[in-house]
Amino acid sequence: MSSLSFHEKSAIGTLVALWFIGIFYFHSVWDLWQAGQLHPASMTGLATGLTILLVIVLVGYHILIAATARPQQEDERDRIIAWRAGNISGVVLGVAVIGIVVHILIGGFFGNALAESPMLIANALIAAVLLATVVELVLTLVFYRRGL
Amino acid sequence: MGGSTLANRVRSMRDQRDHMTQQALADAVGVSRQTIIAIEQGRYSPSLEVALKIAQAFGEPVEQVFWFTEGVDSQTMIGNLQ
Repeated sequence: MSSLSFHEKSAIGTLVALWFIGIFYFHSVWDLWQAGQLHPASMTGLATGLTILLVIVLVGYHILIAATARPQQEDERDRIIAWRAGNISGVVLGVAVIGIVVHILIGGFFGNALAESPMLIANALIAAVLLATVVELVLTLVFYRRGL
Repeated sequence: MGGSTLANRVRSMRDQRDHMTQQALADAVGVSRQTIIAIEQGRYSPSLEVALKIAQAFGEPVEQVFWFTEGVDSQTMIGNLQ
C-alpha cells in the first residue's frame, strides 16, 4: 500500500466499508420486508445505526492512514480525477433516479409493489445513492491507476 | 491536434541531475510524488503551469521536456526513451 496516495487509500477504505455495510443494510431490509416488518421506525433505526457505524469506521480508518502516510496537498491531478469521477457518478445517480420514477409511474398501472410502498421507494433511492457512490470510488481508483 | 499525444523525458532528466528523486521534483513543482510518477509513465498530461514548473526545475525550455508525438501513444514513447 506504500505506493498508494492518501486519496487512493481513502477511496479503497471507503469502498470496502460501504460494500460491507451496504450489503448488511440491504440484507436486513430484505429480511424485514419478507417478515412484513419494513416500517418507518425499523428502517430509521437500521439506517441510523449503520450510518453511525460507517462514520466511526471511516473516521478511524482516515486517522490511521493520515498517521502513516506522508501528508500531501491536493494537486491538479487529484482535482481532475475527483471532478471526472463525480461527473460520471452524477449521471449514474440521475439515470437511476429517473429509472425508479419511471418504474413507479408505469408500475402503478399494474399494482407493482414499488409503486405502492414508500419504504421500498426510499430504499430504491438509497440503493441509487449507494450505486453512484460506488461508481465514483471505483472510477477514482481506475483513474489513479490507469490514467485519465 | 488529432492523434497527438504528449511525451516527456522527465525521468531521464531527473537521472541526469544526480538522480534527483521524484519527491524532490514533486516538492519543487508543488504536486504529489504520485503525480510525478503518472507524468513519467505517460498516464497523466500535466497542465501548462505544471509543465512549465517542471521545465523550470530542470532549467530547460519546456519543449525540451515535453513534446507532441504523432501516432504513438505517450506511454509507448516514454517507454522507448527509457
